[in-house]
Amino acid sequence: MILTGKKIIEEFKKGKIDISPFDKKRITTNSYDLSLGPTIIRYKSGVIDPKCKPQHEEITIPEEGLVLEAGDFVLGHSNERIGSDFYVPIIHGKSGTARMGLFVHVTADLIDIGSHGVTTFQLYATLPVRLYPGMLIAQVSFWLPLGDIILYKGKYQNSTGPLPSLTYKDFKYDIFKKK
Amino acid sequence: MILTGSKIKDEIKSGNIAIEPFCDEQVNPNSYNYRLGSTIKVFDGFDGDKAAFKEIKIPKDGYILEPRKMYLATTKEVIGSSKYAMSLIGRSSMGRYGLFLQVSANLGHTTSKHKWTLEIVASLPIKLYPGMIIGQVSFWKNYGTVKKYDGRYGHLNHPQESFVPIT
Repeated sequence: MILTGKKIIEEFKKGKIDISPFDKKRITTNSYDLSLGPTIIRYKSGVIDPKCKPQHEEITIPEEGLVLEAGDFVLGHSNERIGSDFYVPIIHGKSGTARMGLFVHVTADLIDIGSHGVTTFQLYATLPVRLYPGMLIAQVSFWLPLGDIILYKGKYQNSTGPLPSLTYKDFKYDIFKKK
Repeated sequence: MILTGSKIKDEIKSGNIAIEPFCDEQVNPNSYNYRLGSTIKVFDGFDGDKAAFKEIKIPKDGYILEPRKMYLATTKEVIGSSKYAMSLIGRSSMGRYGLFLQVSANLGHTTSKHKWTLEIVASLPIKLYPGMIIGQVSFWKNYGTVKKYDGRYGHLNHPQESFVPIT
């Protein structure tokens, strides 16, 4: 079951959903609208190797906007900190964003219950598109879980800006371990 | 309703969810992390009106995917459920590299059980390793009576290109 906008407000007031800053005007029928934060990350490695820490640069989106070309991939972030210990958040683009051919996540919409922080957007442009700081770019919905809850304690907890992938940390204990 | 990690484990014990091989450490708060199988298929032009794919065994030291191509691979695990619907997606760690694990077809039908075909698209050149943890699958409670899946893909264990003819 998916929460309605009214239920999101109720659960926010009870402290069961964390959205900060919270603005009642951003509530939609089934979700809450998220705005784009000022910082963008662009990878500089020629080939991404998940075993190695990737090289990247940080860019601040100017007031007049930052143009992504078709095929560009960068990381952005929500201005809002979001999370819940009671519901499962799922990230979606706004329909207006999608109609410009802009992906806000790359097949990774599901957020772990107990994960709190600003969300890293995985921005993939299929057409040239101009990004503005603060634009409403995505939305988050909340879903009812079934079963006992064990909260997220992973490596992206308490993010305060866009975070590049940390897969190189997994490989330290994972790939060479044969089951 | 989406199953929590603890519920996924309970339902594996009850036989309502199958994940083989299963590893406790790959359970997330509300999903299970799957691994990449050992073969990958890459589009290799047309053979008449049929799209031809070349099959490659992913070397231990990795295989580099090029942007703007579509590759087919599978999960290492056999994944299925007699009771729940499934959603198979990537994981945030791979999404942060711009790696798509499916092309807007995340839904797994209740009663299907197999090694899932992944539709992989890379936005940046990226190296993949066989057996690496690459995505996640979640399980969802059904509403209504379940009719057994009788589709063409839900029992296949190799990367399977579309059966739909191009022309």
